[in-house]
Amino acid sequence: MYGVLAYAQRDLTRWLRSPMNVISTLVMPAAWLIFMGVVLPGTDKGYLDFITPGVLVMTMLNAGLFGGSSLMFDKVLGYLNKFLAAPTPRESILAGKIIFITVRGLLQALVIQIIAILVGATVLSFWAYLATFAILALFGVFVASFGTTIALYLGNHDSYAAAQSFLSMPLYLASTAMLRYDQMPAALYYIAKANPLSYAIDAARTASAGTFPVPEVLVLILISVIMALLCTRMFRRATIS
Amino acid sequence: MNTIEADGLTKVYEGIAVVDDLNLRVSGEIYGLLGPNGSGKTTTVNMLTTLVHPTSGTASVCGYDVMRESAAVRRSMSYVPQDMAVDIRLTGWENVELFAKLYGIKDKAERRERIEYVLDIMNLTERAGDMTKKYSGGMRRRLELAQALVHQPNVLFLDEPTVGLDVTSRRSIWEYITKLRGTGMTIFVTTHQMDEAERYCDRVGIIKKGVLLNEGTPAELTSDLDDVIIIRTDSDLPRSLPDGVIPVKSEDGETVFSAKDGSGSLDPLLDAYRADGGKVFSSSVRGPTLEDVYMQAIGPGEEAPFDEDRFRNMMRRR
Ligand SMILES: Nc1ncnc2c1ncn2[C@@H]1O[C@H](COP(=O)(O)OP(=O)(O)O)[C@@H](O)[C@H]1O
Ligand SMILES: [Mg+2]
Repeated sequence: MYGVLAYAQRDLTRWLRSPMNVISTLVMPAAWLIFMGVVLPGTDKGYLDFITPGVLVMTMLNAGLFGGSSLMFDKVLGYLNKFLAAPTPRESILAGKIIFITVRGLLQALVIQIIAILVGATVLSFWAYLATFAILALFGVFVASFGTTIALYLGNHDSYAAAQSFLSMPLYLASTAMLRYDQMPAALYYIAKANPLSYAIDAARTASAGTFPVPEVLVLILISVIMALLCTRMFRRATIS
Repeated sequence: MNTIEADGLTKVYEGIAVVDDLNLRVSGEIYGLLGPNGSGKTTTVNMLTTLVHPTSGTASVCGYDVMRESAAVRRSMSYVPQDMAVDIRLTGWENVELFAKLYGIKDKAERRERIEYVLDIMNLTERAGDMTKKYSGGMRRRLELAQALVHQPNVLFLDEPTVGLDVTSRRSIWEYITKLRGTGMTIFVTTHQMDEAERYCDRVGIIKKGVLLNEGTPAELTSDLDDVIIIRTDSDLPRSLPDGVIPVKSEDGETVFSAKDGSGSLDPLLDAYRADGGKVFSSSVRGPTLEDVYMQAIGPGEEAPFDEDRFRNMMRRR
């Protein structure tokens, strides 16, 4: 655990020292919110409240996919070899990375949540926010593991950047971020039902409404664990030769 | 028990044995593994530091098997890889602190003391608070040594520690390494700088295509070779050469001979040139160097001018 924290702290420190990286992942979700809240002030407040959970999940999605390349970079730049030769258990390198990516995503989601309130979203109870952020954390672990697995598999930045832009928008649009299930055409409905993003968004919405979304959270726990295990396998394959 | 032992250590990549049946015994000394690019130096170090699994054979570090007790191996040693990797967005202090934590130094006061100590030995105290982005190549290398030393390892593995550094930095790195040997540490270093190896290594091994060709102290290895006589001339070889003087090569108006007794053979050789009416502009005699041993073992033209190794590391997909 000590090693895990050391790795996570290293990444957080490095991240906070590069202001461009701090801001860049916030631009998209902030733009959505400000567009809904300020540019379209005529739209009803209900829609802003409806899309806020989706925008929070989108923030986590982008943060997770963006962070997916981090371990691959450590490998390409030679840091990983030094870490692997250190006596801390090797899996703590991966655990530290997933924690870092998730924590960073949560910090960004917090900024987005504040912006949402500023542009007019309804202020919820403390428990509703706590539940929402717990759901975001679970989803963060899922996306961070997913991104890291893909990046380690592809092994270089260019391919991963392509994969990232190829994945991010479609995943968002083919989810319940913008539409309710009953507003969707049949094809989209089935895709949205299979999309992990929908589970996170639905869960966050239910939490905002004041109830704890047990089934969705169970699904999120399950897919996060599976993805983290797949990622661990990929990590071992990428580090042992 | 030797600090580093290898028996029949072999690594096969794509059907080629890049390290082939290597046997090593290294203890309490600076051991230099010498060889051209691609000869298997890094692969050897990677197997000894538990980063690469051997295909066959065994190896141990401080008595721990690199395969079965790899965690114990990692606790006993430190490793500075060939490609420099310091975090440029962390300060010198933070870079060392990270490794102090990874080596499990949990006590805050102790950690602080260790970090201060190694930064001081490596002459980095004044710049410890600066981002390492601003460090020169030599400083970065010293910082990596500080990282490696922060947990007082018994063995230090250094893969090409002076590559890409200027003369002064190279010398100071070697002086630090020599000091460490004085504390009883075993140092395993790879290089293709023969002059450095000759000067600073207690023992060297010459490796080519994964096979260890030659091993011994630089003095032992050079003692088997003849002296070298170099003649600058525009004349052809004399028709008759003194006994025991053998022409080795001739290029750019410089002819190189080998002879058992270099200084004793010089005058007869000059006489031979004069007897043919040739003109000698200058001449010199020197003893054999490790470079001569190396060139003889490796053969001419084997040293790749292009650093493929580095290139491959950068381009390797996984
Ligand atoms: N992961 C790998 N996969 C395939 N071939 C490799 C791998 N690592 C090294 N090699 C090959 O093994 C040989 C020895 O490489 P290396 O140990 O890096 O040599 P050196 O450090 O002496 O330059 C080279 O021909 C290199 O291309
Ligand atoms: Mg090498």
